[in-house]
Amino acid sequence: MTGHETYDVVVVGAGVNGALIAKQLTRARLRVLLLEAGPDTASAFDGYTRHLDHFYSASGKGPESAWPQAPNAPQPDTADVRTGDGYFVQAGPHKYASSYSRLLGGSTLHWLGVSLRMLPEDFELRSRYGVGRDWPLGYADLEPYYRSAEWEIGVSADAADQKHLGIEFPDGYDYPMRRVPPSYSDQVLAQAVDGMQVTLADQTATIKIRSYPAARNSIPRDGYSPAGAVDERLEAQVLGQRCAGNTACTPICPIQARYHAGKTLAQAERRYLTVIAQAVASKILVDPVSGVVQGIEYQRYEDPDSPRHTVHVASGRAYVLAAHAVENAKLMLASGLGGSNGSNGSNGLVGKGLMDHPALYAWGLAPVPVGAYRGPLSTSGIEDLRGGAFRAAHAAFRFDLGNDGWRPATGAPDTTVADAVRKHGLFGTSLRDHLAATLSRQVRFSVAVEQLRSNANTVTIDPRYLDPLGNPRPVISYHIDDYTLAGMAAATGVYRQVFQRAGIKDCTGPNESTWFPEAAYDGTSFHYHGMGHFGGTHVMGSSKEDSVVDTDQRSWEHRNLYLVGSGSFPTMGTSNPTLTMAALSLRTAEHMLVELTK
Amino acid sequence: MADPEDRNTGRAGQFADLSALLTGFDRIQLLGTGMVGSYLHAIDAALPDGVLDELLDAFGHLPPGAGPGAGPGAGPGPGPGAGAGAGDGPGAAADAEAREALEAAVSSAVLDDPKLGPVARNLIVVWYCGTWTALPDGWREAYGTSPLDTDRVLSAEAYQAGLQWVAAGAHPAGALQQGYGAWSAEPEAPKGART
Repeated sequence: MTGHETYDVVVVGAGVNGALIAKQLTRARLRVLLLEAGPDTASAFDGYTRHLDHFYSASGKGPESAWPQAPNAPQPDTADVRTGDGYFVQAGPHKYASSYSRLLGGSTLHWLGVSLRMLPEDFELRSRYGVGRDWPLGYADLEPYYRSAEWEIGVSADAADQKHLGIEFPDGYDYPMRRVPPSYSDQVLAQAVDGMQVTLADQTATIKIRSYPAARNSIPRDGYSPAGAVDERLEAQVLGQRCAGNTACTPICPIQARYHAGKTLAQAERRYLTVIAQAVASKILVDPVSGVVQGIEYQRYEDPDSPRHTVHVASGRAYVLAAHAVENAKLMLASGLGGSNGSNGSNGLVGKGLMDHPALYAWGLAPVPVGAYRGPLSTSGIEDLRGGAFRAAHAAFRFDLGNDGWRPATGAPDTTVADAVRKHGLFGTSLRDHLAATLSRQVRFSVAVEQLRSNANTVTIDPRYLDPLGNPRPVISYHIDDYTLAGMAAATGVYRQVFQRAGIKDCTGPNESTWFPEAAYDGTSFHYHGMGHFGGTHVMGSSKEDSVVDTDQRSWEHRNLYLVGSGSFPTMGTSNPTLTMAALSLRTAEHMLVELTK
Repeated sequence: MADPEDRNTGRAGQFADLSALLTGFDRIQLLGTGMVGSYLHAIDAALPDGVLDELLDAFGHLPPGAGPGAGPGAGPGPGPGAGAGAGDGPGAAADAEAREALEAAVSSAVLDDPKLGPVARNLIVVWYCGTWTALPDGWREAYGTSPLDTDRVLSAEAYQAGLQWVAAGAHPAGALQQGYGAWSAEPEAPKGART
């Protein structure tokens, strides 16, 4: 073991949460060490461009295709879900189908950018509908931090569009940039279906195609300067100050118009920030009597392709685990903290309660060309079924309306071409005419379904399963319950009604899609994919008996330790979690500033 | 002897003519992608020796009246490539007819051929998607293999040059951005060969 460094705060993980906290703390002149397990290959423009070339040349164009594995900081890959031999040890009964990335910038390097707030009712599911848990915080508590998060990460939307299902904004507030223009496809669909009524558990709801808030640069409002590409050079920074419709938010926005955590890190106060990449936190060192954290042990490797490394300890006055819902839990468990067999008095909740938004694809052919394969990957959704009294009976859900044809569901346009050539024997003018008539009419929904917390869904570790540095690989036990499956059944009914109303020919079918895991319910087999929305593994609560962290995301057991991110979520609702975790992280940073400058 | 790299008269030119016929795009559009040379090399490398020449040879010897010499795409110069004539002018109907005859001939002489058919279909997918697809096992057993006969994207440039994006009236995901807000406008009419 070599070296021993002391800082005010040691942060593990350079994703959106670690970056936001590092920025706030360093700007208040606190010395921060940021440890990143993976490499730092995307924080200068040339390196970022190499990732873009990697995407162009990749056979599959999935979310990880621009971001290859770092062997010493391995990560799950959606291609491994089928084979079952990736980083995750899948203990079943259902497959956990989501992935994340371990490198400087984290999974924000390949997220879609959807930046919805959670609904007020999402924080009170138990009180209102008798299911799930209540948060120890309400929408009103988090609302000011939502506003800060929207300005920190740069969200484009018009507040006037977003006031629904109880979402409110203070008078005079608006998002930092105007809404991203809805796609032509959104407009065609809206004309057909706006105002149609659907029934969920005897409750009638009226649906509307609605532009959603997106962390993609658009036309700024007064007082806001969009952050473009991250680089030292001014000419690179000019790139990406406005979305240009590359239709590749996931896996890589070529011009960096879509937010990623590197932008926030670039705004941190450099004099107070030390970033060490290729540094894998391997153990939290705790005083066995007081429970106070005394240091973070980490493994530094020089060569990404070799497991050779040196071991160091970093110390601070406070510690933040911002490594991801799964990685936070894994590091705690590997340190003997918080699990079922953990330290004295532990409630055993670390790693328990893993959630996702298991999601269904629905795809079809519109009666007229809708201009598929243009614009951001999606620009609108159906939000009206995210809330309502039906939640007493089954899960809520949210429709994301794709602008990229059938790509994620079937591998189109390549598979559309291959089918036409190989199955239908088309060539020449007939082939070209067929593709022109087909591709531009492709419509695809992704329907993300709410999942409640269950202590049976867990991240654990097992000494039999280790990575090249000897750190444990996550063992995932995962079950999709009837509450969520009944939500999938209801969502299926709704998409069919929408397709019928809009004259869209339903082409959805497992034989036509790429492979997805299955879950059976009531005689139907649902083929679902993961949304990358991990949550629940270090749950927030109002007492140390039933939770891991308090409302400041501060560990009940280790008072100078914070576990941040969607692992803290007691429920996920149906919103993509990034904006909510950004708001929580800003709130935690504010609390830490008070604590550390007392 | 003709220069084999010459786009009009040589092997590359013959490859472009065949490609135009198989893809439904104009010869000039294919040349404009800048990919003819690199596809020739890549396809040669992915096939056993001599197979691509056999394919070009079969195309060069289509039955009289339907051969490349009779089609609108033949001959040097930037004239209307194979089938490019669909459009205005008195020659349009004749061009379309000639193209149909060519397509019928190439269908029986090439696409229905057990050896050349799978290669021709691969060639179409190369142009549309920028990817090479490993030939079927039965084909490899019968006609031989190359170590480069594997599923893969031929290059970053090949991905971006895929004709599928043009046919869709779109752009390759992650490249050739259309500009802020372009996606909210009605798409241009689909770019079919006859529309």
